[in-house]
Amino acid sequence: MAGNLLSVEGAYKRFGGVHALAGASLEVSAGEIVGLLGENGAGKSTLVKTLAGLHSLDAGTITLQGRPFSQGNPRSAREQGIAVIYQEPSLFPDLSLAENVFVGRQPTTGGRVDWRGMVSQTQGLFDGLGIDLNPLRPARGLSIADQQMVEIVKALSIDASLIIMDEPSAALSAAEVAQLMTVARRLKDQGRGVVYISHRLDEVTELCDSVTVMRDGATVATAAVAQIDTTQIVRWMVGREITEMFPKFDAEVGDVVLSVKGLTRAGVFHDISFDVRRGEIVALAGLVGAGRSEVVRAIFGIDHHDSGTVSVSGSVLRNGSPSAAMSAGVALVPEDRRLQGLFMPAAISRNIAMTVLARLRSRLLLRGISERRVATDWAGRLQLKYANIEDPVERLSGGNQQKVVLAKWLATDPALLIVDEPTRGIDVGTKAEVHRLLSEQAVRGLAVLMVSSDLPEVLGMADRVLVMREGRLVAEIARADATQESVMTAATISGALA
Amino acid sequence: MTGRNVASTALKAREFPILVALAAVVVTTGLVNPTFASSEGISAILIESSVIGLLAASQSMLIIMRQIDLSVGSTTGLVAFLVGQNAAANIGVPFAVSVGVGLAVGLVVGVVNGFLIAYLGLPSLVVTIAMLYVVRGVFSHLAGGETITAEQVPAPLVELGSGSIFGVPYLFVCALIGAISVTLLLRYSRWGRDLYAIGSNPEAALRVGIPVARRTFVAFALSGIFTGVAGLLLLGRFSFADATSGLGIELYVIAACVIGGVAIAGGVGTAVGALIGAVLLQTITFALGALGVSQFWQQAVAGALLVLAITFDRVVAVRSARRVVRRVEVLA
Amino acid sequence: MMALQRLRLTAWDRGIVLLLILTLLFGGMSSELFLTGDNLNFVISDVSEVLLIAFPMALLIIVRDIDLSVASSLTLASAVIGITYEATLSMPIAVVAGLATGSLCGLVNGLLVTKLGLSSLAVTIGTLALYRGLCFVLLGDMPISSLPMEWTDLAFYPIGSTFLPWSVVLLALFGALFWYLLHGTRFGRWCYAIGQGEEAAAYSGIPVDRVRLLLFVMTGFMAGLAGLVYTLRFASASPDGAMGYELIVIAAVLFGGVAIAGGIGTMWGVIAAVLVWGASRSLLQLAGFDANALVIVSGLLLLVSVAIPQLISRLREQLGHRSPRGGNPTRGEASLPSGNEVVHPSPAGAGHDQGSN
Repeated sequence: MAGNLLSVEGAYKRFGGVHALAGASLEVSAGEIVGLLGENGAGKSTLVKTLAGLHSLDAGTITLQGRPFSQGNPRSAREQGIAVIYQEPSLFPDLSLAENVFVGRQPTTGGRVDWRGMVSQTQGLFDGLGIDLNPLRPARGLSIADQQMVEIVKALSIDASLIIMDEPSAALSAAEVAQLMTVARRLKDQGRGVVYISHRLDEVTELCDSVTVMRDGATVATAAVAQIDTTQIVRWMVGREITEMFPKFDAEVGDVVLSVKGLTRAGVFHDISFDVRRGEIVALAGLVGAGRSEVVRAIFGIDHHDSGTVSVSGSVLRNGSPSAAMSAGVALVPEDRRLQGLFMPAAISRNIAMTVLARLRSRLLLRGISERRVATDWAGRLQLKYANIEDPVERLSGGNQQKVVLAKWLATDPALLIVDEPTRGIDVGTKAEVHRLLSEQAVRGLAVLMVSSDLPEVLGMADRVLVMREGRLVAEIARADATQESVMTAATISGALA
Repeated sequence: MTGRNVASTALKAREFPILVALAAVVVTTGLVNPTFASSEGISAILIESSVIGLLAASQSMLIIMRQIDLSVGSTTGLVAFLVGQNAAANIGVPFAVSVGVGLAVGLVVGVVNGFLIAYLGLPSLVVTIAMLYVVRGVFSHLAGGETITAEQVPAPLVELGSGSIFGVPYLFVCALIGAISVTLLLRYSRWGRDLYAIGSNPEAALRVGIPVARRTFVAFALSGIFTGVAGLLLLGRFSFADATSGLGIELYVIAACVIGGVAIAGGVGTAVGALIGAVLLQTITFALGALGVSQFWQQAVAGALLVLAITFDRVVAVRSARRVVRRVEVLA
Repeated sequence: MMALQRLRLTAWDRGIVLLLILTLLFGGMSSELFLTGDNLNFVISDVSEVLLIAFPMALLIIVRDIDLSVASSLTLASAVIGITYEATLSMPIAVVAGLATGSLCGLVNGLLVTKLGLSSLAVTIGTLALYRGLCFVLLGDMPISSLPMEWTDLAFYPIGSTFLPWSVVLLALFGALFWYLLHGTRFGRWCYAIGQGEEAAAYSGIPVDRVRLLLFVMTGFMAGLAGLVYTLRFASASPDGAMGYELIVIAAVLFGGVAIAGGIGTMWGVIAAVLVWGASRSLLQLAGFDANALVIVSGLLLLVSVAIPQLISRLREQLGHRSPRGGNPTRGEASLPSGNEVVHPSPAGAGHDQGSN
C-alpha cells in the first residue's frame, strides 16, 4: 500500500558546493495526507521544486502512479498529475477567478470561449470544496488564503492526483487554516494524495496521516502520526545535539543601545517591546511569517510603524527613515541578500563602500581608489575570498556575498548590528566564520539583534531568545533556559508560554 | 445573446463612467450652444474621431498585453500616401489593389515591430520610437514635397470619407466595426484571453505555458493591418496626404486608450472602450470650441486628460490592491 | 550575465569614443568642408540642445526612469522666454523665467512619478502632450521673433577668433558638472545603485525617491536651458519647435552605452555618442543626403543600440553562460523577478520561446 501514488527514492541534488538533497525519499499513497517536515534548509523546497518540474535530480528515482516521472518541465509535471500550491500563489490579478482556473485552456464551443460553461464548471468545483467565492470576481484583492483556494481548484480542474501544499498556512489566520484543512481532507476523500508542508506541528499532527522528516537533504524518519507525538518530531527535525561549534565569547554587557517600546504596525505586528544592550546578542526567533523581519525592518526605518517608539542610545529614531537610523548607528543586514543586501552586477568595492561614501570624498572628488581602499581593508578583515576587488559581487559564493554585506555594514561602525537570517543558504565553513564575526562584534561592544530560523544558531549564539508568534512577542527565554524544545514550543503552539 | 453580453460587459466595468462623462459633456455643451448637440455637430465629432478611434482600438490590444506602439502615426501617414500615390500612378487600378497596398504596408511595419519585440526581446517603447523615426524618414523621402490631392484618391475612399448611413458617417462605422471585432476577438478567443493573461502577469503567463513570444508577434502584425486600414480612412477623410500626414497622432491614440479605460499597466480594458475614449477626447475638443475656448487649448487639454486618466487609473488600482498589499507584507 | 554586460559596456563606451575619432578622420578625408571651422561650429551648435538634455537624461535612464517630455519642456521654456521678453523687455528676467519653467515641468513629472508611484513613461507621454499644448496656448500659432540682437548674435558668432560657438561654454560647463555628479560624487554612486537594485538601495539608506525627484527637476532645468539656446539660435520662440528632440536625446543616450534597464552607462559614452550623431549628420548633409536620411539614421541608431547588447547577451547565453536564476537554493519559492518595471518589460524577453505549443 505504501507509496502507491508517489515514490521518491535516493534523491540527490547539488547546487555548486551545497548538497540540497542527499538521499531524500518520500512515499505518498492515494487518499493520504503526508506531512513533510524539516528545518529551513533541510531540502524540502528542493524536493518540492523537483516534483513541480523546476529541477532535475542528479541521482535517484521518482515514480508516479507506477510510471517513471519525467523531470525538469513544469508543464509536463502538471500533465503527469502533480500540482503545487505555493505559499504565495501568482494569479492573474485582472482576470476572473473562473478564468484563472482555466487560463490557457478555456473551454470552447465552436472555437468560441464558453464563458458560461467555464463559470459553471468553476462554480461546481468551488461548491465541491465548499469554497464561497464568486467565480466572476477578479483575483485582485483576494486574500492569500483565497488565492490558495483558487490554485487548489485549478489543480482539481486538471484532475491532479498529487497536490503539494508548500507552507500554505504560513500567512493564514486560524480560521483560514481551518478552512484549508477542511479542503485538504476533501481532497483526501476524493482519493488524491496530499503533501502538506508546515512548520506548525500542531497543524501537522491534526491534519496528516503520516509524517516524513527531512534533515540536511536526507529523509531521517517516516512514521504514522498516530504513533508519535510532537516532542518526537522535534527531536527528529533537530536530530543531533548541537554538534557545530558556536564560537560564543563572553562579552561584557553594558548600557541599553536599542530600546523598542510598544512598536505596532497594524495587521503585521503588535505591541513589541524589548531592549538590546552593548555586548549582547539577542535572537528574535519564531516561524517564517511570525513578523520578525517586519519588526527589524521597522526598526531600521524601511517600513513605517503606526505607533510605539524605537530609541537608539537614548534618542528616539525618526519613523520610516533608514538614513536617520544609519546616523544613529544602526546597521541592518537584510534577509534577502541578492535583492536587498547587494547590488549584484556592481563591483565588490562599490558594494562595500556604498554605506560610507560621505566619508570617502577627498577634496570634493569621490574617487574609485578610496572605495577600493576601504573595501580591500574590510575584505581582509573578514577574510573574503575574491579574485579582484572590482569583480562584480554576483561572481562570489553565497557565503562570501554575505561577508560583503557584513563588511558594508561593519564599515559604518555601528552601535547596533541587526542581522536577518545571517547564515541562510551559506556553506558550513563560512557559517562558522560569520558566527565568529558576530561574537567578536559583541565583544567589541556592539549590540547585536539576530533574526534566525536556524535553531542551533539561535541557541548557540544568543544571550537571550525572544520568540514571536503571529505578530506578537510571546516569550523571552534566557540563554540558560533556551532549548530546542522550549523555543520551538513557544513558536509553534498557541497557548504555550503565552 | 452575444450582443447583450458585450453590451453588459462594456457597461458594467470601466467603460461606463467614460460614457457618462461623454454624455455629460455633450449635454452641458449642447445647452450652452445648441448647434453642438445637433446631428451635424455630432456627425462632425464622429468623423473626427474615426481614425484615432480605430488606431486606439488596435492599440488597446497591445497595451492590454503590456506593450505599446508609438510608430502608428508614421505608418498611418505612410499608408495614406502610398495608397494615393499608387492609385494616381496606375489610373484605373481596382480598389482592391489599393486596399491591398494599404494593408500590406501596415503589415510590414507591424511584422518588423513584432519580430524585434517578440523574438529579440527588445523593449517595445524603444523599438516603436525607432520605427516612428525610420518609417517617417522613409515616408518623407518617398513623398518629398509631393502631395496627394482629391482627384488622385480612389473614388470609394472619397465616398467613404464623406458618406454616411442613417446619419452615422461611414468612417465611424469602420472604426466601430474594427473596435467591436477586436473586442470580440479578445473576449471570445483563447488567443485573446492569452493577451489579457500576459498583460496581467507576464511571468505567470509563461509559467502556465502561454506562448508569449508568438502571441506578441501576432498581435503586432495584426495591429499593423489595422494601422493599414486606419491609413485608408485617413486618406478618405481628408482626400489629401503629404509628408506630414499622421504626424504626432500616436499621442492622441495612447491618450484615447488610457481615457477609455485601457490600463497602461496591462491586463484591463476593451477596444470599444478605447474608441469611446477617442470620441470623448474629440468631443471635449469640439466642446471647448463650441464654448468659445481657443482651438489652441486642444492639445493641452488632451495632455491634461491623459495625465489625469493615468493618475485616476493608478489611484483606483492602489485602492483595490491595498488589501492584497497588506496581506503580502505579512509574508515579505 | 549582468557581469558580462558590464564588461561589454565598458568596451562599448570605448568603442563609441573610437567611433567618434574614426568619424572625424573619415570626415576629414572624405570632404574638405568637414573639418573647417565653420562646419565644426555648425556641428557643435547643431547638437547643443540635444547634448544639454542628454547629460541629465543619462542619469535619469541610469536610475531606470525616462522623460519623454523634454522637447515639449524645451519649447515651453522657449515660449515663456519669448513672452516674458515681450512683456518686460528684459532678457535676464526672461532667461530666469525660462529656466524656472523648465524646472517646473521637471518638478511636475517628478512629483507625479515619485509621489503617486506612476510609471515615468506613462506620465511623460502625458506631459509631452500637455506641455506642448501649453505652448500653443501661450503663443497661438504666432512665433515671437522680436528678440534682442545682442543676445541672438551670441548664437551666431564664435568666441573671439576661434571657431567655437558660445554654446560651447554651456556645454563644457554642464558637461563637466554632470560628469562630476555622475562619476565623482556620492549622488552619482546612488544613481547607479538605484538602477542596479532599487530595493537594495533603499536598504542601504539611499533616499531613492528624493534622488529620482531631483533628477527629474534637473532634466527639466536642462531642457529649459536648451530652450534658451534654441530660442537664441533660431532667434524665435515658436510653439512647434524641437519636434521629436526627445527621441534624438534618448537614442543618443542609449547609443552612448546607457542601458535601458538602468544601472549602467558613462558620461563619456553619452557625450561621444551625441558628437558621433552630430558629425554623421553633417557628413550625410555634405554628401548630399536629404534631411530624411538623417531621421532614418537616428532611428536605426536607436534600434542598433538596444539590439546589439541584447543579441550579445543572448549569444553568450546560448554559448552556455546560463544565468544562475532558478538554480539557487538560497532563494525562496518566488524566484522570478516582479514585473514592476519602469519601461514596459517585454514578456517575450523573459522567457524566450519556452512553452510554444
